[in-house]
Amino acid sequence: MNSLIFKRVKTKTTLSYNNFDKYLFLLIAVGPVLAGYILFGLFPNILTLFYSFTRWDGISPKIFVGLENYINILKDINMWTSLYHNLIILIFVPVVTIIFSLFLAYALVNKGFKENKFYKVLFFFPNILPAIVITLLWSFIYDGEFGLLNAVLKLIGIDMQSFYWLADEKIAIFAVMVPMIWVQTGFYVVIFANAMMSIPKSLYELARLEGASHFKQMFQITIPLIWGVIKVAIIFTAVGTIKSFEYIFMLTNGGPYDSTNVIGLYMFNMAFARNISHQYGYASAVGMFLFVVLVGINYIIDRLFSKEQSQF
Amino acid sequence: MKRKFSIGDSVWRFGLLIWALGIAFPLIWIIVMSLKTNQEFFLGAWSLPSELQLNNYIKAWVKLGIGPSFLNTLYVLVFGMLISVFFDTMNAYALTRIEWKGRNFIKGLIFMGLLLPGINALVPLYTIMRGLGMVDSLNGLILVYGFGGSVFDLVVLGSFMSSIPIDMEESAHLDGATVFKTFWHIIVPISAPGIVTISIFKFLTLYNDFTLPFILLNDSKKYTIGINMYYANEIMQYSSNWVSLCAGIVISLIPPLVVYILLQKRVIEGATLGAVKG
Repeated sequence: MNSLIFKRVKTKTTLSYNNFDKYLFLLIAVGPVLAGYILFGLFPNILTLFYSFTRWDGISPKIFVGLENYINILKDINMWTSLYHNLIILIFVPVVTIIFSLFLAYALVNKGFKENKFYKVLFFFPNILPAIVITLLWSFIYDGEFGLLNAVLKLIGIDMQSFYWLADEKIAIFAVMVPMIWVQTGFYVVIFANAMMSIPKSLYELARLEGASHFKQMFQITIPLIWGVIKVAIIFTAVGTIKSFEYIFMLTNGGPYDSTNVIGLYMFNMAFARNISHQYGYASAVGMFLFVVLVGINYIIDRLFSKEQSQF
Repeated sequence: MKRKFSIGDSVWRFGLLIWALGIAFPLIWIIVMSLKTNQEFFLGAWSLPSELQLNNYIKAWVKLGIGPSFLNTLYVLVFGMLISVFFDTMNAYALTRIEWKGRNFIKGLIFMGLLLPGINALVPLYTIMRGLGMVDSLNGLILVYGFGGSVFDLVVLGSFMSSIPIDMEESAHLDGATVFKTFWHIIVPISAPGIVTISIFKFLTLYNDFTLPFILLNDSKKYTIGINMYYANEIMQYSSNWVSLCAGIVISLIPPLVVYILLQKRVIEGATLGAVKG
């Protein structure tokens, strides 16, 4: 109570305790987390760089080889096909995800259908599922003999016989993208719907008075006004496609005939696949390469879209 | 208020319905599949179970090893969550509300973690854990989950804590409360919604994590549920007990489903928060 008598001279946002208790608290509060972060977060990143200059199977002593691994990356045909697959995914997944989620979010926000509230919850749902559940579900859907996809297609008159969607060299890369889109779209529906809700309704009413269609309203009002959010979503989904290899690992493990291999998966298998001799040094160099690719993509997308934004 | 629906409206409505079916139908389908016999399973996607084969679930639990792996997951989840939420809450308080030398440096160092993709550091993470003798150990997993630090937690809790009026702490301070008391009696209760949010996310991320347990656990007795399901699928080409695998899928999606049904609003809000951090 007596504290109320004191008047604060300037607004403070932090308190300075000056005693033994404070340092004990700090020690417990910061020490373990910082130690864990350094040991499991920072240190491994530095070690990757170190490993990348060695030849090492993980068991026998490391041999320092200088830039050999990096030179091998340039010559490694698997590396370039994997990078090519990464690029295909990088283009398709963000574009499709964002277009779908923009339309769905627009319908949820601007159309007063009574089922909309339920849809929002349902669309988001796949995001909370473990990757293994999603991929096993989809490998059942894609199955040739008893799969849901062939059954649905047959229902609408397209007979695929017993076509295995994940076993076809040309189709598999597209088949592995569908679950990614299936999951992520619901996430961006929520993000975009939240952003769209802050757009004043009067803007749409005005456009409607002038006879603008929903399409026109969406492209001339909604999208420009939430462009900042869309841009972040593009970066997020793009970077996500490079980072994530779990779906592909579980669905096809890069096959058939490496037609779905991506860099992350290539690195992962080199280091962790069972029953092969591991190449930690080379895998680390690939990891560093991946890091550079990620930074590059971030930079390019940022550059590409920051100019366009100034138009609005 | 009644609204008239036009033809245009029904196109929009149809689009929404298609997406909703695209999400819900496969999930319902897999539940139906999990209740068939293996013979019915091979009759095709539309065949319905003549009798609900609930013992598929028992087989999945016992023969596919979901039971033990479920317990392993539970063990890792409980301790991983308790440790990380406890330390991250203290850490967030120390980094946002207490003044000390080096605070900004440490804060910057931890936030730098956002720039690290993680995937490129899997090999050293494994060798470090091997060096610590933590391969094939559930406690090793807990160690990484518990102390790995999470910027998401810091952002969520930090924003909660910095909105607490400083006067409350100050008066407690002047009344002679130690920093521990202030933390426990003032900060923790007020930050409770934030703590709940990060706990939900911790639950979902730890339950859904695949890569780390996959590289750390070789011993099948130590498998977490995700790893167990992965290997259960691998052996299907020899045992082809597909209906049990379907039952396994359904079992593994129950925990996140329950969390989502009970707390969907918080989950969706928290996920949006998480997106803002980057």
